[in-house]
Amino acid sequence: MKYEVTIGLETHVELDTASKIFCACGGHSSPKEPNDCVCPACSGMPGMLPVMNKRVVEKAVTAGLMLNCEINRYATFDKKNYYYPDLPCAYQITQLFHPICVNGKVEVTTKDGVSMIGIKQIHMEEDAGKLVHDEWTDTSLVDFNRTSVPLIEIVTHPDFHSAEEVLSYLEMLKSMFRFGKISECEEGAMRCDVNISVRPEGQTELGVRTEIKNMSSFTSIERAIKYETARHIDALERQTEVLVQETRRWDDTKGRTFAMRNKETEADYRYFPDPNLMPIVIDDAWLDEIKSAMPKKPEVKAAEYAEMGISEKEIEVLTGERNLCDLLDGVVALGASVKDAVAWILTECAGVLRKNGQVLSDLQITPEKLAKIIAMVADGKINRGAGKKVLTAVIEKDVDPEEFARENSLDANTDESAVAAVVDKVLAADPKSVEDYKNGKTKVFQALFGACMRELRGTADPMVIKKLLEEKLK
Amino acid sequence: MRDYITEASGNIAVDDMILVKDMQATAGSHMLEGFVPLFSAEAVERLENKGYSIAGKANVGEFGLDLVGEFSYYGAAAEGENLCGGSAKLVKDGSVKAALGVDLNGAPRRSAALSGVAFMKPTYGTVSRYGVIPCACSGEQIGVYAPNMKAMQEVLSVIAGHDAKDGTSLMHETYDYDTDLEISGVKVAIIKEMLEAASEDSRAKVLAYAENLKKKGVVVEEVSFELARAAQSAWQILMAAETCNNLSRYDGVKFGYRTPNYENIDELYVGSRTEGFNLLTKQTILYGSDVLSKNRYKVCYDKSLKVRRVVADAMKAMLSSYDAVLTPVCSEMQYTAYDISDAFKNVFKESFFTAIPNLIGIPALSVGGVQLMGNHFDESLLMSLAKSVEGMGA
Amino acid sequence: MTAKELEGLMQLNELSLSDKEGADMLSLFEDMKKSEDVLTAIDTENVEVMVHVMPMTNVFREDARKQNFSRESLLAGAPEHTEDSWQVPRLVK
Repeated sequence: MKYEVTIGLETHVELDTASKIFCACGGHSSPKEPNDCVCPACSGMPGMLPVMNKRVVEKAVTAGLMLNCEINRYATFDKKNYYYPDLPCAYQITQLFHPICVNGKVEVTTKDGVSMIGIKQIHMEEDAGKLVHDEWTDTSLVDFNRTSVPLIEIVTHPDFHSAEEVLSYLEMLKSMFRFGKISECEEGAMRCDVNISVRPEGQTELGVRTEIKNMSSFTSIERAIKYETARHIDALERQTEVLVQETRRWDDTKGRTFAMRNKETEADYRYFPDPNLMPIVIDDAWLDEIKSAMPKKPEVKAAEYAEMGISEKEIEVLTGERNLCDLLDGVVALGASVKDAVAWILTECAGVLRKNGQVLSDLQITPEKLAKIIAMVADGKINRGAGKKVLTAVIEKDVDPEEFARENSLDANTDESAVAAVVDKVLAADPKSVEDYKNGKTKVFQALFGACMRELRGTADPMVIKKLLEEKLK
Repeated sequence: MRDYITEASGNIAVDDMILVKDMQATAGSHMLEGFVPLFSAEAVERLENKGYSIAGKANVGEFGLDLVGEFSYYGAAAEGENLCGGSAKLVKDGSVKAALGVDLNGAPRRSAALSGVAFMKPTYGTVSRYGVIPCACSGEQIGVYAPNMKAMQEVLSVIAGHDAKDGTSLMHETYDYDTDLEISGVKVAIIKEMLEAASEDSRAKVLAYAENLKKKGVVVEEVSFELARAAQSAWQILMAAETCNNLSRYDGVKFGYRTPNYENIDELYVGSRTEGFNLLTKQTILYGSDVLSKNRYKVCYDKSLKVRRVVADAMKAMLSSYDAVLTPVCSEMQYTAYDISDAFKNVFKESFFTAIPNLIGIPALSVGGVQLMGNHFDESLLMSLAKSVEGMGA
Repeated sequence: MTAKELEGLMQLNELSLSDKEGADMLSLFEDMKKSEDVLTAIDTENVEVMVHVMPMTNVFREDARKQNFSRESLLAGAPEHTEDSWQVPRLVK
């Protein structure tokens, strides 16, 4: 018999914000040590009140727009109750009754084709803290740095039918959120709960559903889905066990899922509206503001670039990093030609980074500075080699390009007579080579050219030197 | 046991439900023994900035859930027929000029009435709740205990005003409170159902107060407010559920009391909470948890949120025909000691008189042993009414 | 409410009552039914819930980081803690 697997996904993504969702402690990239980004509010002490971080709303709405959701113009917060030491107030502030985004959809491509995945909703909530097992004392240590870090949870309809689709969706979310500056989605910043059921092909009602909670590595998610699918099929086919609706966890070492103890699964979370947080109302003006601040989707950007004459290969690299698109657009807006801008970013910048063991996503340079360097070279103020030196200094030490060129005497010697004087001097100092050249040994030209370049310390346009040398050796 | 102020060392006492930096804050509960807050409540800061000094913390019943402070872990604020501790008594004795208290279910209004001082629970959102040990966030407010309306107006003016640290704080930067509004011709309604529910002495208080107001040209009429019972039930449900939720942070992990007897996290939780809370608190938690459960949410919690709107609309209608409302604040004018196993029932019974202002956020002034309620932001009218009959006896 | 349901409710709230207290609690739930009936009698068809008594919308803070409290001061009142963390009995991994 053939079987069909049906999967729904709940994906939690930590948002990149400077501060937490309800208090001013540093956001998810801030902590250096345990509990160094904690205050009375996010460690459960009484007296402080939650005040909503506006940026979180904007990022959640941006995510919703990217996933083709309807934006709820009226959104509220609710409290979810349960006890666990990583939840300092024993409640989590989340959205149940009026989530921020609903009814989205997104296309997912695998080798088997394209499928449409429905997004049920996106809601905002606070993250929980972390527990670390302490071997020395055999106790658990509680770290509240992650408590109240803003999350969005993206809930799909059960529209996936293979692990490949799930992975493709997750990869797409990740690149979309990085591109939209919603989240860098580093390891652990994206966590999934997977709902899974299996039925014989042709059967209308879904099979027994199990949920595998809290997985963050894509490899684990794939393995867990495959294991769980096989377990369900075994149970259906050979009655190896009776399937029950339950919550399970993935054991990465043993490579299998296991049921969580009952207490965790049968909770009644007793949600109710949070009286301390006022409703969020998103009017047209605010929505337009968020939309206009939104980056274009990678595919839109790619079409734009193709029209500008950028090659497919280059487009692929550029649209892989939102920062590169911003840089390119900025540099072009400041007057650089598209060809120069692309070459400087993809060849020269990449070269500098490579030498330092970095890649293009590590690039830190403002469009203003890069445009300045490109203009200096294009205008002949410095030659390309000097341009690379300036670029290296800008990337490594964030110097001012013009000042650096001046201080290091990299300014191109555009005064032909000055270059001519140097050429004359070089030729006068080496009559033997001149003689040789005139006798047909043309390969000494390179040596003379090199001597001129050295004398001018690379500040002159090589084409000018070459032209003068040729003239004077005739 | 801990020491509470007995003699004035400053001019303002602060209920132990409100945080003062570096002063232990217990909310009258064993659960918070040894908890020293790292910051002061906004109301406390505002008073200090204006040159007032904090005399110290005043005893309260555990989490402010009882009648008048009789069930504090740190010694009752009431014994036998005497109210012998707490803010109301300190103000009555003249030990302090005024005191701050948190009104979440009427306890400060009752203890003020029985001690012969005044307590104002102002309009919801006028005084920041930053620094309040939270229980029933949707309806609790910091208020002022004062011996007279002059002191009431003075202290209330200092603590009221917008605070960005409280997301429910109203946007008004300051409030101009007046105690000398013209009251001749003002119309006051006495809620008939409450008058009938009070005992003889409490009813006599209200009627005598009404007579004094009439002498000042105020029109007083008895009117029916049929939703009074519903308001009481709705606030009981909302108050208990929110309190249950807010008290879930006390688990023996982060601060305060931890049971000495535990092997694992469950024993730590259950032991700490069972030993740390008194019976009234536990009953409130269990009732509040139950009304939020899946099969009861619709008929209890959600229903109460809707009834709240019905009551608010009805009260608005009443306050468009009348300027203020006069009611008893306690069923009896004498406190009588009782066992904690009866506390939940007794407090619920008394909340019939006090629930409406908590439920819908209107101001309520306990003064002269009676209660005056008004429209949102009508504190000045309530104080002016009270001031006009100050010293007339009842 | 049955005794078994009360047991579950206590578990959910991480506290326990003595047998006598439990019996009292059960009769308390019974008593409160009357007051809940008062609510049921009120027509709330087409009435919206009222979560906030003084309605406002869009109360926000800007996304700015501030660290106002030291870890040391936060841990000072903990029943049990290490140099940098709160401490609880070992949890199942």
